[in-house]
Amino acid sequence: MSSATTSSPTATARPGVRPGLGRIVLLILAVAALLYVPTLLTERAIFGHRLSNMQLLNLGLTQINLMLISMLGALSLNYLMGCAGLISIGHAAFYATGAMAAAVTGTQLGWPFPLVLVAAGVAGGVVGALAGLPSLRVRGLYFVLSTMAVHYMVTFGFLEYQFRVFDVVGIPFATPSLFGFELSTPTRWYFVLLALVVLTYWGLRNTLRSREGRAMLAMRDHERAAVAAGVDVRVLRIKAFGLSSAIAGVAGALYAYYLSNATAETFGINFAIQFIAMIIIGGMGSLAGAIIGAAVWLLLPSVIGGMASEIGPMPGLLGSLLTEHRAQFVQLIFGVLVIVLLIFAPGGLVGLAHRFKALFGRRSEG
Amino acid sequence: MFQQVLFSGMALGSIYGLVALGFAVIFKATEVFNFAQGMFVVCGAYLAVTAIAILDLPFPVAVLFVLVMAALIGAVIQSTLIQPLAGRPILAVIMLTIAISIVLRAGIEIAYGPPARTLTTPMPSGGFAFMGLMISKLHLTAALVSWACVILFGLFFRYTSIGLLMRATADSHEAATISGIRVNTMNRLAWGIGFTLAAIGGVFLGQLQIVSTELESIGLLALPAVVIGGMQSIPGAVLGGLLVGVIEQLAAAYISPKASDVAIYVLLLAILMVRPWGLLGQRGINRV
Amino acid sequence: MSALLSIEGLSAGYHRKGLTLEDVTLPIGKGRIVALLGANGAGKTTLIRAVSGVIDLHGGSIMAGRATFDGRDVTRMSADRIVRLGMGQVPEGRLVFKTLSVEDNLAVGAAVLPRGRRTARLDAIYQLFPRLAERRKQAAGLMSGGEQQMLAVGRALASEPRLILIDELSLGLAPLIVKAIYDQLKVIVAEFGTAMLVVEQNARLALQYCDEAHVLERGRIVLSGTAAAVAGDPKIRESYLGLGEARQGDAA
Repeated sequence: MSSATTSSPTATARPGVRPGLGRIVLLILAVAALLYVPTLLTERAIFGHRLSNMQLLNLGLTQINLMLISMLGALSLNYLMGCAGLISIGHAAFYATGAMAAAVTGTQLGWPFPLVLVAAGVAGGVVGALAGLPSLRVRGLYFVLSTMAVHYMVTFGFLEYQFRVFDVVGIPFATPSLFGFELSTPTRWYFVLLALVVLTYWGLRNTLRSREGRAMLAMRDHERAAVAAGVDVRVLRIKAFGLSSAIAGVAGALYAYYLSNATAETFGINFAIQFIAMIIIGGMGSLAGAIIGAAVWLLLPSVIGGMASEIGPMPGLLGSLLTEHRAQFVQLIFGVLVIVLLIFAPGGLVGLAHRFKALFGRRSEG
Repeated sequence: MFQQVLFSGMALGSIYGLVALGFAVIFKATEVFNFAQGMFVVCGAYLAVTAIAILDLPFPVAVLFVLVMAALIGAVIQSTLIQPLAGRPILAVIMLTIAISIVLRAGIEIAYGPPARTLTTPMPSGGFAFMGLMISKLHLTAALVSWACVILFGLFFRYTSIGLLMRATADSHEAATISGIRVNTMNRLAWGIGFTLAAIGGVFLGQLQIVSTELESIGLLALPAVVIGGMQSIPGAVLGGLLVGVIEQLAAAYISPKASDVAIYVLLLAILMVRPWGLLGQRGINRV
Repeated sequence: MSALLSIEGLSAGYHRKGLTLEDVTLPIGKGRIVALLGANGAGKTTLIRAVSGVIDLHGGSIMAGRATFDGRDVTRMSADRIVRLGMGQVPEGRLVFKTLSVEDNLAVGAAVLPRGRRTARLDAIYQLFPRLAERRKQAAGLMSGGEQQMLAVGRALASEPRLILIDELSLGLAPLIVKAIYDQLKVIVAEFGTAMLVVEQNARLALQYCDEAHVLERGRIVLSGTAAAVAGDPKIRESYLGLGEARQGDAA
């Protein structure tokens, strides 16, 4: 997904530089690149010029689409943790809530897809606001645990629902259609998901820039100061939790529809943990970090897989890692990556990029 | 029926209490809320598999092997990974422990292969009838050994001079430093002990069930156990473990096997709302 | 003469805050009581933290200079090692082990000693502070401020140090208790030959007990001398002892 990364410099323009012509050109190029991605990945060629699997990093549109859905989760979680300063291990629960709401309204009642998404968002938001209630009473570690408790309650509810109404195979989801536009191909999904990610990114960015958003950042950094400034931190917290979970709810519904099936196991505690890992990799407290983290998390496995088949059979440990134990190997890389970033670069990849930029900036000045 | 469930709940709860004790030792010493404790349990089970099935060591040597290796791994994790993050925000530290458990899981699955292993030791198996109850010898052994470890640790912590230095370090790192205590050594010791207690739990859980990385979720029950009992309280951890075991078995028997996790976490949430410092904890210690 | 502790050209500060301590030179001889006087924020506590090696726990570091204790360079040495070399500390805010009993607090202090010497040492401390003996089994956190301060002194003393750094002993305590503790410090010096660096805001009090005094202002030493000389300095009389034309509130 090299095209997505080329777009990020436009989003993080240097301070003090007005959006000039260069920036507009870059933006147009980025949009064009994003629009070209499905053609690139389905035709496996760029402007008629064939590309090998490795040149495309072994990526398919499905991975891109799953990545886009994860970006929604990572964005909303980073909004909650990085920006509102509330730590949650319950993000999978809101995905599950959204998927459950979609199952009731979509699969069971047959509502039109847009309404299903709205229902999933509302359900996620309501459960999220409820899950945020303990923040009125407990802080820090205790709150983290309360989100874990919420996780187990919601997944238990999901399990009961799944087994009462459906069966062990899971809940089926039909191919959705958006105002007559049937989401029957990965390409169609891509455009819908891309639009949703851009919309979410833009919406969250504006929320953070609003008066309330700035109050929230103040609350994260200096709770007492925010209280003293007359900010009702309790309401802000619940609101942040509700908004974040509403987005996660929508993402959960999309995820279920995209996979056309959902089971309780899908939304285990590890599902929640992966989102935390994404924002740590990308960069805590930065929306761009959420995007980058989700991209790394979702695309790296397939890139490594591609490399393995490109290199061919290899003897020794690395060979067995790349073939027999590829899934574990990827997990190992992720685990080590998170540990290394936590110890050496708490700001994640985005923080590293800023550090490099500062370094080069200073060099060119001096 | 009820007594039978209660027995297995208490036997399992004793193991959970042991694992939770290890968790509490680590938390008290370094204020790290260790999400890798579940994986430490798994490590213990695999250390036993290594000693018994792979290295073919005689049982007493195998026990020694598990204990020494566990203590070493715990200490190494503390000094290489945990210590660099001292004083950082709780999320970073929590995530670090989660990442450690991801690495441990992947490492174990690569080294031992994904299929589960069985662990057989010369420990008593089978069962006997006692007052109308079927008592499984292995469950009973697990409970007795767990309690022996808990008591042993309690004596060590309370009555030895190293135990005193550990308590002093847990009380205040700075005060300990200016009293000449090597705080990092104490922290390593705490992690070594915490890992070892989890590993002992893992050896039993691995025998009662089967040895696979899925044991992690059982080991992770130490988290609610510690919170229910009181995060800063050593006896609280043991009591919490016992309670979690009993509730898990009762919920599984009387509600549904799927309900055991949720029953434990409902209790956890209730405790958090009503008495966040836990059953045996002291009020006012909720700075964490 | 070679000092027990010699601080030479020491500069120290905290992260992103510039220097709190600048080019401080200060010798402490064996068995001497040396007072370090100065207003709030003059850098007294920073000096103690820098010398005792705990400054990094507070986000600071030594930028320049060195500290030699008994002929050994202790600059940037780890704090626990410095204690084991024989430099004890009574820190700001006392920092007793609140959850441990009085007895255990003292035992922790004595833990650096060989096993055979511990009991005798603790007995000596109980004799100096009978109050501690009475409360042997009590949790330190439940004691009064004065008692905690005695315990902090006792704990520092338990490791048989040749030098004790004492930070703001009088802070927040009743004058009577403070005087009692200071009296015992004199006894300690006489009995054990322990040297002391006493950081004190209450200059009048410190000058009554010390042999030499140094005055710290904005991180620099502006005046050094014997207790009598410092007490006689007109500027000190006015700004620290309140003995200028306008007498200020009575200090303890």
